[in-house]
Amino acid sequence: MDHFPGTWGRPRNDVYGAYDASYLQTTGPKAHTSSPAVTGTSVVGVKFNGGVAIATDNLASYGSLARFSDVKRLRSFGDNAMVGFGGDVSDMQYLDRLLESMDIRENYSAHGNMLNAKNLHTYLAKVFYKRRSEFNPLWNHVLVAGFDGEGEPFLSSADLLGTTFSAPHLATGFGAHLAVPILRRKFPEEMPLAEVTQEAAVEALKECMKVLFYRDARSIDKYSIAVITKDGIDLKEDEQIQGQSWAFAERIKGYGAQVV
Amino acid sequence: MTSIGTGYDLSNSVFSPDGRNFQVEYAVKAVENGGTAVGIRCKDGVVLAVEKIITSKLLKPGANKRIATVDRHVGIVSSGLVPDGRHFVSRARDEASSWRGTYKGPIPTNALANRLGGYVQAYTLYSSVRPFGVTAIVGGWDSEAEVPVDGQVGSGPKSGSGGKVEGAKAGGPGLYMIEPSGLYWGYYGAATGKGRQAAKAELEKLDLTSGNLSLADGVKEAARIIYVAHEDSKDKEFELEMTWISSVDGPTKGRHEEVPKDLLEEAEKAAKRSLEGDDEDEEDKGQGEQMEE
Amino acid sequence: MFRNNYDNDAVTFSPQGRIFQVEYAQEAVKQGSVVVGLVNKTHAVLVGLKRNAEELSSYQKKIIEIDSHMAIAIAGLASDARVLSNFMKQQSLGSKMTYGRPIPLDRIVAQIGDRAQTNTQHYGKRPYGVGLLVAGVDEAGPHLFEFQPSGLTHEMVACAIGARSQMARTYLERNLDKFEDCSRDELIQHGLSALKETLSQDKELTIDNTSVGVVGVTNGKKESFKLYEGQETAALLEVLEQRESAGAEGESMEVDS
Repeated sequence: MDHFPGTWGRPRNDVYGAYDASYLQTTGPKAHTSSPAVTGTSVVGVKFNGGVAIATDNLASYGSLARFSDVKRLRSFGDNAMVGFGGDVSDMQYLDRLLESMDIRENYSAHGNMLNAKNLHTYLAKVFYKRRSEFNPLWNHVLVAGFDGEGEPFLSSADLLGTTFSAPHLATGFGAHLAVPILRRKFPEEMPLAEVTQEAAVEALKECMKVLFYRDARSIDKYSIAVITKDGIDLKEDEQIQGQSWAFAERIKGYGAQVV
Repeated sequence: MTSIGTGYDLSNSVFSPDGRNFQVEYAVKAVENGGTAVGIRCKDGVVLAVEKIITSKLLKPGANKRIATVDRHVGIVSSGLVPDGRHFVSRARDEASSWRGTYKGPIPTNALANRLGGYVQAYTLYSSVRPFGVTAIVGGWDSEAEVPVDGQVGSGPKSGSGGKVEGAKAGGPGLYMIEPSGLYWGYYGAATGKGRQAAKAELEKLDLTSGNLSLADGVKEAARIIYVAHEDSKDKEFELEMTWISSVDGPTKGRHEEVPKDLLEEAEKAAKRSLEGDDEDEEDKGQGEQMEE
Repeated sequence: MFRNNYDNDAVTFSPQGRIFQVEYAQEAVKQGSVVVGLVNKTHAVLVGLKRNAEELSSYQKKIIEIDSHMAIAIAGLASDARVLSNFMKQQSLGSKMTYGRPIPLDRIVAQIGDRAQTNTQHYGKRPYGVGLLVAGVDEAGPHLFEFQPSGLTHEMVACAIGARSQMARTYLERNLDKFEDCSRDELIQHGLSALKETLSQDKELTIDNTSVGVVGVTNGKKESFKLYEGQETAALLEVLEQRESAGAEGESMEVDS
């Protein structure tokens, strides 16, 4: 009987040779987070004439396990700014607290001078960049939606490296591959923003969420969607993907029950 | 025993032979000349009000707020040295923020008052600092509803352990007054500053202990009390500033906010009317007709 | 002058609850040459009277730009003002860096107020010996703040601090109603008129001793801070002279009465 629980379940030394513990070394460079733990998948956002629409699903995965199914990954800031979080959920909670305390500070005096979405994005990108420069990144990819200082619709992304990117429609994670092509087809580059209606933007997001649910194994059919206009934020946090059809999956390897 | 000329009043943190700290007492003197401030703890919220003497015509009307917001659910009004009041508020904000850092939720009003009392008291302990020249009234509303933990993203498991007592009442209004010595008490109605005596007399007439006064009436009473307290310095013009914090289902949704302009003006009008009534005949205008005696 | 036991430092209250060291610091402000500030709906203006130590020496700077949306005018110890202005420049730059937003005026004024307060509550420090007028624009429009050594700050419609500033304040109070809706150029002239009131008989405003600073926002469009000094003030002073001579009959009647 081996009385050291630490060695239980390990490959037997007499069969496989001594266990290589070198990766467990206690000396050497200090390491911080090198992978996310509980994660949220895509965030998708679209600008329209008069605001921005943004959506995420309500899932937090632990690896491939669908661990939490009622997670709110769209967080509001003030009266008309919204942040959609992809990536590590605990880092998202940290950022949410950070934004909460910032919101409290901003409201010490009641008149004017609120941070807008653009200010918020600048700040978040700085936080990400600082943390990655300390080799201790916040493992997220976020979309910030709202309005800029001129009152124009604003949509921009920031990731764990502090990289920022802005476009009339954006998606993070799997969405960057699956949703963006759909959005580019619906809202081509030459199409002026004035022609994109709120309804079209919301419809496009719903379509994207459906496609993402079809093809992203870390997604769920419950999602949140927010529409930000000058009137404020209209946030729905318990939406269900409508009109699914899995017929296409019948003859594709990897979907559903497989016979060989 | 008098304080002056003995030498026991020249440094903070020094006791006189009869056990007094004169520097703290002198700090109280600074408060006694400040604009009157009152706080009323009502059944469904808290009102704070302050009399701002207009020292110059060049001041921007309506600016220069003297009641500060701490976190979202607490307000502080102080009387005495205004910059000291700002220092006090800044500390309160730091305390509220650090509480959130630790407990992931808003600081209860009593805990905030306790920490601030400790902070102010520390400024009576050392000869290297002077006491705060302010008396501050801290008003807040602790949420009676379940508040989400900061950073909470889901509702958690629908079944399983809980540990909550069914039907237990939580939260409610809080009102505390902190003096330069660091001493603080909880109050139903608190007053400080120049007109505190008149204000206290008026507060005592309100029967606040029974807990029946509504926030809406509290606003009117607070305005009236500031006007009554101002009677002694009638020659000086003043501005009335008022804020309130209601219950979560009330008008401010548990937040500390300025009393809306129309309500404020209405309360001021009623206050002026009741004062005029006092001067001529004892007109019936709610409680507290007789000014004194 | 007499000393008393309670004025050795800023951490001792007098039996009346006063802090003499702070009050003495306020006196230092009154020794400085005068500066005037005023606002209308769109602009904030600072004007200052510069002093020179002797005929051939240069003039002391009175208006310091903090950022493109804000400036200060100083009266009192210039070196203390430099400490504060450096701090303000840092804070302003910090806000632009982290949020991409010009720092709101009330925010930065509160910060210097808090700094000044610290100096009045801790042994080994002394109060700042300078008063400031902070003028600028932010999302909420144009603002003017007065800062005092006690750490007291006030938002003003118009203000004057420094030597003989009472004369300027009297002018400002008398003309208070005219400021809000007047034009940018008229506001500057009101500032100069107020400044002129403070001059002793043998003095006058010249292009050498006058500074004018303007910052504004019209329909959301920002007009960056502009400092007029030397030759640039010539045109402004000329207008002042014209106004005075033109208004000499009409206006002076009521003023003199």
